[in-house]
Amino acid sequence: MLKTEGKNWITDFKVKLTLLYVLQILCISLAIALLFIPIAKYFEVNPISGFSLIFSLVLVVGFIVKKIFKITNSTTAKYLDEHFTQLEESTELLLKPYAELSLLEQLQVNKIVQFFPLQNGFKKPLKRFLISLAVLLLACTILFIIDSSALFNSKIFGNSKSFNTSTKVKENIPAEIKSISIKIAPPAYTNQSVRNQSQFTIKAETGAKVTWLIGTNIAVKKINIIFNNTAIVALKAANNDFTKWSYSKVINQSGFYQLEFDGKKSDLYQIEIIPDLPIAIKIHEPKIHTTIDFGQIPKVNLVCSLTDDYGIKDAYISATLASGKGEGVSFTEKKLLFNVSLAGKKSIKLNKLIDLTALGLKPGDELYFYIKAIDNNGQMSRSDVYLVSIADTAELLSMAGMANGVDLVPEYFRSQRQIIIDTEKLLKEQSSITDQEFKNRSNNLGLDQKLLRLRYGKFLGEESETEIGGEGHADDDGHDHAEIKYGDVQALMDQYAHKHDIAEDATFFEPELKAQLKAVLNEMWGSELRLRTFKLQEALPFEYKALRLLKELQQKSRVYVAKTKLSPVKLKLEKRLSGELDKITQPKSNSTFENKDLGKEDLKLLLAILEQRKSGKSFKYGERELLKSGETQLISAAANQPVSYLAALKSLRKVSIANKVVISDIEIIQKAIKNLIGLEEVQPQKQDVSPSINLSNGYFNYLKNGKE
Amino acid sequence: MEFKLTVFIICIILALFLIFKELKRKNKTNLSWRILASIFMVVSFAFLIVPITYQTVKEQATAELNLITEGTDVDTITKIKGEKFDLDSNLFSDQKNLKIKHIEDLAYFLQENKDIKKVNIYGYGLDQTQLKQLQAYQLSFHPAAIPSGIISVSWQKEVSATENLTIQGVYNNYSNQDVKLKLFGLGANLDSAFVKSNSKINFSFNTQQKQSGNAIYQLIAFKGKDTLFAEPIPFEVKPKKPIQILILASFPDFEYKFLKNWLYEKQYQVVFRSQISKDKYSSDFLNTKAMDVSRINQALLKQMDVLLIDENEMSSISAVERAAINTAVNNGMGLIIRLTNAISNPNSPKYGRYEIPFVPATTFTITAVNENIKFSELPFPQTLFLETTLNDQALFKSSTGKTVVNGQLYGMGKVLISSLSSTYQWELAGKGTDYSMFWSILFLKAAKKELKNQSIEFFPQFLTIGSSTKLIATLSDNKAPNLAFNDIKLNPKQNMELPFKWDAVFWPTIAGWNKITINNITENAFVYQTSDWSALKNADKLNLNSSFSIHQLNQKEDLKLTTENIDEEISKWWIFAVFLLTAGYLWYEQRFLAN
Repeated sequence: MLKTEGKNWITDFKVKLTLLYVLQILCISLAIALLFIPIAKYFEVNPISGFSLIFSLVLVVGFIVKKIFKITNSTTAKYLDEHFTQLEESTELLLKPYAELSLLEQLQVNKIVQFFPLQNGFKKPLKRFLISLAVLLLACTILFIIDSSALFNSKIFGNSKSFNTSTKVKENIPAEIKSISIKIAPPAYTNQSVRNQSQFTIKAETGAKVTWLIGTNIAVKKINIIFNNTAIVALKAANNDFTKWSYSKVINQSGFYQLEFDGKKSDLYQIEIIPDLPIAIKIHEPKIHTTIDFGQIPKVNLVCSLTDDYGIKDAYISATLASGKGEGVSFTEKKLLFNVSLAGKKSIKLNKLIDLTALGLKPGDELYFYIKAIDNNGQMSRSDVYLVSIADTAELLSMAGMANGVDLVPEYFRSQRQIIIDTEKLLKEQSSITDQEFKNRSNNLGLDQKLLRLRYGKFLGEESETEIGGEGHADDDGHDHAEIKYGDVQALMDQYAHKHDIAEDATFFEPELKAQLKAVLNEMWGSELRLRTFKLQEALPFEYKALRLLKELQQKSRVYVAKTKLSPVKLKLEKRLSGELDKITQPKSNSTFENKDLGKEDLKLLLAILEQRKSGKSFKYGERELLKSGETQLISAAANQPVSYLAALKSLRKVSIANKVVISDIEIIQKAIKNLIGLEEVQPQKQDVSPSINLSNGYFNYLKNGKE
Repeated sequence: MEFKLTVFIICIILALFLIFKELKRKNKTNLSWRILASIFMVVSFAFLIVPITYQTVKEQATAELNLITEGTDVDTITKIKGEKFDLDSNLFSDQKNLKIKHIEDLAYFLQENKDIKKVNIYGYGLDQTQLKQLQAYQLSFHPAAIPSGIISVSWQKEVSATENLTIQGVYNNYSNQDVKLKLFGLGANLDSAFVKSNSKINFSFNTQQKQSGNAIYQLIAFKGKDTLFAEPIPFEVKPKKPIQILILASFPDFEYKFLKNWLYEKQYQVVFRSQISKDKYSSDFLNTKAMDVSRINQALLKQMDVLLIDENEMSSISAVERAAINTAVNNGMGLIIRLTNAISNPNSPKYGRYEIPFVPATTFTITAVNENIKFSELPFPQTLFLETTLNDQALFKSSTGKTVVNGQLYGMGKVLISSLSSTYQWELAGKGTDYSMFWSILFLKAAKKELKNQSIEFFPQFLTIGSSTKLIATLSDNKAPNLAFNDIKLNPKQNMELPFKWDAVFWPTIAGWNKITINNITENAFVYQTSDWSALKNADKLNLNSSFSIHQLNQKEDLKLTTENIDEEISKWWIFAVFLLTAGYLWYEQRFLAN
């Protein structure tokens, strides 16, 4: 090797060494961080962030400890000196330019250069790297073992795991059975693929086709399948050895079944049905009752969301238009479509702008609509009926309801109408009159509106022109607060009281009425503002709304009952209660209630018998009858709700045969029976009294009568 | 005495013989000394056999007996000076260093140690029978801390069908951990309570029992995941005792109609009569035979437990009929009078009614007085209320505290006045439970009580295996009953003062449900294991011992010191020394001095 190449070789060595170190640190930090994942999961910390945090932490520490960034040529040379004695602590000389070296140094360089390239230079760091690699592998293995262990999984995923249709259930499988394969073909509407399972407990969608394929160890003459303890169906042998059997059935109902091998019955297995729920429709907009006032755009934005468990087929708005009045009301039905493709979507948010004028809605008409949706299975569901009405300005202005009947309403109820008429008239005439005239009349209208507002304001105790409804009691409320003379109690009291001139003016409206009045005043304020600023077109909606609210108020005050004169017929008292009664029969009825539901009583007795069985007493003859009765009731319950009652039915069968008392089995039955009995109403009872009461009774009688 | 005399005679003969031998001896140099030594030797020999005693008068502290019982903590034991005894050898069997001696039988021990005047009892104390033996002694009770656990509990031993089982008690939790108390029965958790660390709470569990017959529920306490204890709650559900009801209506209204149907469906015997016209009635006999109800008389009323009548009908019936009703109530029948009008009939009393002016409320809520029941609201405003006087018991009140149903004793029976007129609204609103609850309470309060022919009580109330139990049977006559416990005949003893009470003592041997028969009627009695309800038993013992010791303290003055004549004995070592000296001298004189 050439002397000049020594330096290059050292640089090369340095790079490789650094790389090895980095790899080693990477391995170690990866291993530690991996091991941290299950711990993070255990403490419910996000595993990924935990992993990255620990990884970077260890990495940084490793880099600092190993001084990765401080590895230079000279440190590498020192490293080489340490590890190779033949270099005689002179490696550093190679780094210096040859010419600068002294004679002695040159000699030394010549001496050591012959050892280059050094053999086994990476022996030690390589070994370390391999060890760290092994550590990483070990960490991976540990992680794999922990992750696959069921116990830990349940701890970690227990809460978040949703119910899986193919949950493993512990089952007692008859010895004859070699293999089970149950094919569940969900119905088309679910859009789900066929699945296979090797357990008897079935959880299937409504209408799913279930096919049982049962292989037996030995030839069996006959296999029956019994559904809900009532329907018995024979399985077909699929081969000539009578060791393979099959049967298929469309399942629409929950229940349970069992297999029968040549008369030997198996355990009970449950069939649970996943029902297809109808589409849930939720309307976010508009409100259930919307009124479109004059001036508002006659358009309604409909926002709704539909959700179904398997898929939505179709949805549309069914709208009914009600127009006309009284006997002349006519209804038109319309079907409005959402212009969105729904096919098969499970959840969708729909938008539709209903243009009322396009539908032909006129003022005073109403639109009723609801959303109808059909899911893949053909199940229909519909939303509540929503109503949109357009306020009828013509109706408001009509005299109907005021001209007839009792007109108890004072004149000022009409002037809002007058203002509207005047406003509309002014608007019409705007082009023909001068600007000044227009402004003047507009201002006058505003003044009228103000006066009207103030009149209504009075009802609410509104005193100043600036507030609405006159709430609160300002310090400066218009009363004269004269200097209070010392000792003048009345004056002192007046300071804190809110006295009015005329007591009759104080109104006692119901809060609801007050609130409505206040709303009217609000609208009047709005109208006045626009009138005074000559924006007549803008003022109209406020005027109309004020009038509509006033009309509503007016209708409220129209509960009225007319007085009529009563002239009773004079009674002849001597003739009272003197009629002949001999032809009046005295009806007598006799009936006895027949309690047809004796099952509950049986169940109650059975509970006590099971309680006795817990303490080891065997069943007697009569008690076995009760067990039978309980079993029939449990069978019918289990056929409807296998999830709740099948386990109890199984236990009941076990308990009625078993010689050994298994308390947990009995408790399962008791719990189920308790649920079957349900909550009972309290019934009247007599109280018991101990015979020792005789003594006090005797005493009582003696006190009362003087003798016993 | 005989023995002493023999000893003395033999010794005198021996002394005479020795003196004679001394006199005969040739060497007479030390004769007098030798004779003296011989005499002393024989005398001391005699007193070695018969000890010398003399009498002295001495003052001394009273002898005390320290009895350690369950629950005593080790610190207390180590602080006790003097000897310590226990009655249960298993108590501190693992701690030998405490040096507790065991007493097999307390009575025997006290007989043996007559000097004991005072007994110190440590821990939870002794049971009743043991305390009885200490009646003559001065007692000092050093109670242990109240035990942790259920220290008081009660529940109905017998429940009627559809009645609720109520378990109430006190839980004392000394530990630093919270305890969860759970009522478990028929395979399900029925109710639960939470006891915070270092606290004492009153708990109350309520559950509707479902079975008819016996059942054992369990009261389980959990500390974290550990089960502290599971105590049995045995109880019996008896079939319901139906009541016979007579309803007299002035006219049929909805209230009657609903009540009639409800009682009919629940299979009660109901006779319903409503007036059609003057002396003309329509009558329904539900679940019972037809009978003549045109006249109300004693014979008819005797069959009835409750008579429900409205105010109008009450005033329209004849005075004879009213008198018959009064007599029947006097003999125990219940009478419920419905008030419907705010103003009473001219013929009928006011029954303390008053009307409040129209209320704006549209609903009305009632509560049962003294019962923890919340009723749903009735959809009408009630304006008619009753005044509760000193003789009245308010049974139902409005939520504002005004009485709507009053009860009053009349003779042995009860008269209930109700101003509620439309309880059927509950049924209409689908609140059947409220409706049945209301009428059940009303009928229970009113109905004639059923007199049992016999009843049994046990002392102590918790029958425990192997412990003596006293049974007291109360009978309706004074004849000796046939008593048997699990078919073993018991021979009862008549009570001296109350001849209808008989008692017998027995020892139950089988845990669980046992049969007890009086005059061929079998009842159930539950026998507990010795370990059941230990905290409760210990708390009871604490109370018993403290009250017993306080009672004793009041009777006996504190005797600290006593003077006594005591026979004291001279130590035999002195006599033996004399014997040795004299005998030694005799030997030495013969061996060395004589030569």
